[in-house]
This record gives sequence, C-alpha cells and structure tokens, in this order.
Amino acid sequence: MIKITNLNKVFNQNTKKEFYALKDINIKIQTSSCVILKGVSGSGKSTLLSILGALSKPSSGDVIIHEDSIAKLPDLHSSAFRARNLGFIFQSYNLFNELNVEENISIPLVPLGFNQKEINEKVEFALKLANIEHKKDETVSNLSGGEKQRTAIARALVNNPDIILCDEPTANLDSVNSLKFIDVMRKLKELNKTIIIATHDPIFDNLDFVDDIINIKDGYILE
Amino acid sequence: MRTSTFLNFLFLLIYKHKSKHIAISLISILIVFLISSVLFISSSIQKEVFQTLDAQSDFVVQKINSGKIVNTPNYWIDDFRDINGISNIQERVYGQYFFEPSKKYFTIVGIDLFEEATNKNINLLLKKLNISEFLSKDSMIIGNGVNEVFKKFHYFDDYSFKLHNREVKKVSIFKSLPKDANIIANDLIIMDIFLAKKILNIQEDESTDIVLNVPNELEQSNIKIELILKHLDIRVIQKDDIKKAYENLYNYKGGIFLILFIIVMITFGLILYQRYTMISSSDKKEIGILRAVGWSIKDVIKLKISETFIIAFISFLIGVIIAYIYVYFLNAPILSNIFLGFGNLENRVSYTPNIDFSTIITLFLFFIIPFISAVLIPTWKIAVIEPSESMK
Repeated sequence: MIKITNLNKVFNQNTKKEFYALKDINIKIQTSSCVILKGVSGSGKSTLLSILGALSKPSSGDVIIHEDSIAKLPDLHSSAFRARNLGFIFQSYNLFNELNVEENISIPLVPLGFNQKEINEKVEFALKLANIEHKKDETVSNLSGGEKQRTAIARALVNNPDIILCDEPTANLDSVNSLKFIDVMRKLKELNKTIIIATHDPIFDNLDFVDDIINIKDGYILE
Repeated sequence: MRTSTFLNFLFLLIYKHKSKHIAISLISILIVFLISSVLFISSSIQKEVFQTLDAQSDFVVQKINSGKIVNTPNYWIDDFRDINGISNIQERVYGQYFFEPSKKYFTIVGIDLFEEATNKNINLLLKKLNISEFLSKDSMIIGNGVNEVFKKFHYFDDYSFKLHNREVKKVSIFKSLPKDANIIANDLIIMDIFLAKKILNIQEDESTDIVLNVPNELEQSNIKIELILKHLDIRVIQKDDIKKAYENLYNYKGGIFLILFIIVMITFGLILYQRYTMISSSDKKEIGILRAVGWSIKDVIKLKISETFIIAFISFLIGVIIAYIYVYFLNAPILSNIFLGFGNLENRVSYTPNIDFSTIITLFLFFIIPFISAVLIPTWKIAVIEPSESMK
C-alpha cells in the first residue's frame, strides 16, 4: 500500500517567491490498484508523482510505500528503491535518442548487478510486453511518438517493478496510440501492478480498470 | 554494479556520443601533440648539445681589444703552460665564410691533424680519417647542409674559396659528415688548420681562440683567476657556463619552451573552462534520466569520470604517438626550425629518441586532472539536484 500523510511541497521557501505546489495531501492507494491523478496544468499532480517516485523530496509530511518511508531517504537508498520498485513513463519519454530501443530499455538494469545474459532476457521480456520487439534495433531518434512511448513503457517494465508511475502519458500521442497505451495499462493491471497516472486527458475518465480518480487543484485534493 | 555490464554500457555510450566527443578529443590531441613534440625536441637537442659540450675543452680563452673579440696570439699558449694543472692546451681556428651564390654562411673549422685534439668528436673523426690521403691535396670534410648547397651550385668535387687578397684557393671535397651530426655540424667545413688560417685570413702565429683542459674540477675556479691575471685583455669562458646557458635555453622549464608551455596551457585551460560552463542541456537531461531510472549519484559520477578518462587517455595516447612519429620519424618539420632557427642553412636534422618518462607522466597528470575536473564538477552539481528538475 502507498500512504501519503500531511504532505506539503513548497518551492522558494521563506522567500518572497514562496509557492505551495502541494498542500496537506493525505492519500491511500491500495496495492495493485490503478489511480488517476487528475488536474489541469500546474495543479501539482506531476509534483506529487515525482515525490511518489522519490525523484524529489517533500518539504514536510511522509510517503510510505511497502511500509518504508521514502520521503527522506538518502540518495543511495532512494536510487536503489527506484531501481527495484518503480517504473516511470514520462510525457516526453525521456529516452536516449542516440541509443537503439534495446539499449534504452537495458539502462535501468545496469546498476542492479545483472550479467549481460540476464539483462538480455529481461529486455526481451519487456520488449514483448510493450509490443515494441520488432523495433528493438532501431535508433530512438527514428521512431514515431507511439513507438517512443512503447519503448518508454518497456523501459519502465524491464526491472519488473510493483509500481508504475505515468506522467501525462498520452499528451504527445494521437487517439489511436492513446488507446494502445490504455490497452498496455490494462494488461499491467492484470499483472497486479500498482499504476498511478497523472493526466488531464479525459480519455482516462471512464475506464473499467481504473479504481480511483483523485482530482487535484492548486495543490489541494478536491473531495 | 557488475563491472562487465558497466563497461559494456560505458563503451556503448562513448561510441554513440562520438560526435559529441570528437571536437574536444581533436583539440586535446593537438595540445598533447604540441607539448609532447616540444618535449621530445627539447630533450633530444639537449642530449645532443650536452654530448657535444662534454666533448669540448674545459676552458676557452679569447683576446679582447677595445671590447671586440680579436684573434688570439699563439705565444699566450706558452704563457699558460706555466700554470700548474693545465693540460691539452691548443690553438683553435674557426670562422664564418660567406658563400655568395646562396647568400649563406658556412663555419670553417681548422684542425691540427698531427696533434691530439681536445675535442673528442674531432679525435673520433681523425681516427677514421686517412690523413695522408686527406693531406695529399687541399681537402675539406663538409657538413650535410654545406654538401646540399654545394650540390645545388654544381660543386661536386671541389670549391674555390675567395681569399682576402682577391686570390682563390681551390679545396677538394674529401667527404661529407653523416646526417645524424646535423644538429651541430650542418654548416661545418673541417680542414687542415693552416689552410683554414689562409682562407679566414688569420696570421700563422695567431688563432681564433685557445682551448685548455683542467682535469681537477676543484681547481677550475682558481685557474680561471690565474688565466685572467696573465693577460688583462682576456676573456675566459668555462664549459659549465656554456652548459648553463644551453640548459636555460633548451630546458622545458625555461626559455622559449616555458613560453610555449604557458601559451598551450592557457589555451587548454580556456577549452576546459568552456567545457565546464557548457555542460549542455542534453548532458543535464541525460543525468536526470539515469537518476530517474535508478542510477545513484555515485553511479552517474562513476560513468561520467570513466567516460571522460577514456576520452582523455585515448587523446593523450594518440597525441604522444603522433608527436613521436612527427619528431623521430619525420624529424619535426616546421617546429624544428623554431628551435634550431630559420637562419642560414636549411638544417634537416634527425633526432635521437631520448624520452624522459617522468616528464611524460607529469604531463599526463597535468592534462588528465583538469580534464576530469572540468567534467566532474558540473556533473556532480547536476547529479545532486532532484532528477525531476534536471530532466526539465
């Protein structure tokens, strides 16, 4: 379970430009559920997602994932936590454009101590799961938006994480590719992954596999 | 992290980022090549010059008249023989001869073929020389540069020197010196002492200067004073003073070498500063992505240091290898002229390898430490900020 308690995130604290991105957030997300964080641009949903992913630290409050507090973890531990438990899918894919699909997908496995054979097996599995196997030798810069998205999904799945975090995953996709993305998420839900998607896309509004929609506005959770 | 997996990824990244590395690598290769070439040339010249100096006499004595160096009277030799501790005292005859057709100067050196010379190199030459054949007619041994000039003007067998009284003196070319003697003997013409005096218009009872040895090094300063006391119009030059002068000129820590080093190091510093300030947004994003997918700050820094080290090491190695080929196989065209001078004869020297490995290692450290620092510091600065920020 993921438990967020009294979470605040303040930028430029104690200056004239002080800005509250998140205010007093309290959420519980059940394991293997799919949750949508919904809100307009600047509402704070991406900030919340990056705190959940240990990519940034909260100003106050706590985030407990699998009974471990990740809010104040030192770098070495938060990196290890990300590498073993989390998979990220970013709006702008965040891939290495010079590398090919297979090489991009293997990046999260490098610090985990696997040998090359194990890496190859895991990458092969992720390629199949994200349905991008046919493009594995293609350089990322030559891929379409949808293919880049599937490469990013494969990279997020390669370390077999329990939690998948998606930040505006359909923002750069057309409707066909958006639906394909939703199919992959449905498949992941069936594999008992916990999925958290930060989006303002209405395509996620009435999906059967979505367990909860949390609306965020100006850093607050709307009841 | 498994080393083999890490290295696989490291080399993959270097290969894929080759276009990013190529500019800094080329500049680094050029800088290392320049510094290494200068070091190789300076150490070779220094070795050659010191070997030559070692073969020279301990003291050179010249006569000064109204502040000008004039020919030295030979009776001084007898005066100096009275001083205890002096050995191998000899007259020396040499001077410059203007070769009109090419507007170049040659250096004529006269040697006494029947006396053991104080110069070890000339002794070696005399041992190999068939003196009776050499003296059967007026003959000369010429340096490689002189040989080239003579050939250019079709003087293959002999040349007629112009004398002061408008007469000419025909001298046959006995042989030319080997090319490996070019650093010091390129413009030399060696001939019998009496013939040299005739061509250089030096009276029979005079010489250009007088040389002598003082085997006991501890006595050298005392003997210098005694020599000065013998004649007031005297100039005494000690071999050690010449050595020091050459050391200052050709040592990499002094003279033009130091200026070259400073210029190159400043250029290198500017390039590194540019690299330091120009860690691009793509680098920033790359570090952010690595951190986001589970790489720790330590892992990212290890990757960047290794990447930079490999680039710097390969650049250094290539730079040194090219410099070695340039100096020892191609005889350092262009750069060689800077050190040996453009003047007078074109000197095609061949350098003997004389590499000081401690200097190479020092150069490597001076190169690699700033190079890595220029990448490490900005990388660390980016790596410690939150990945969500660096990916923006």
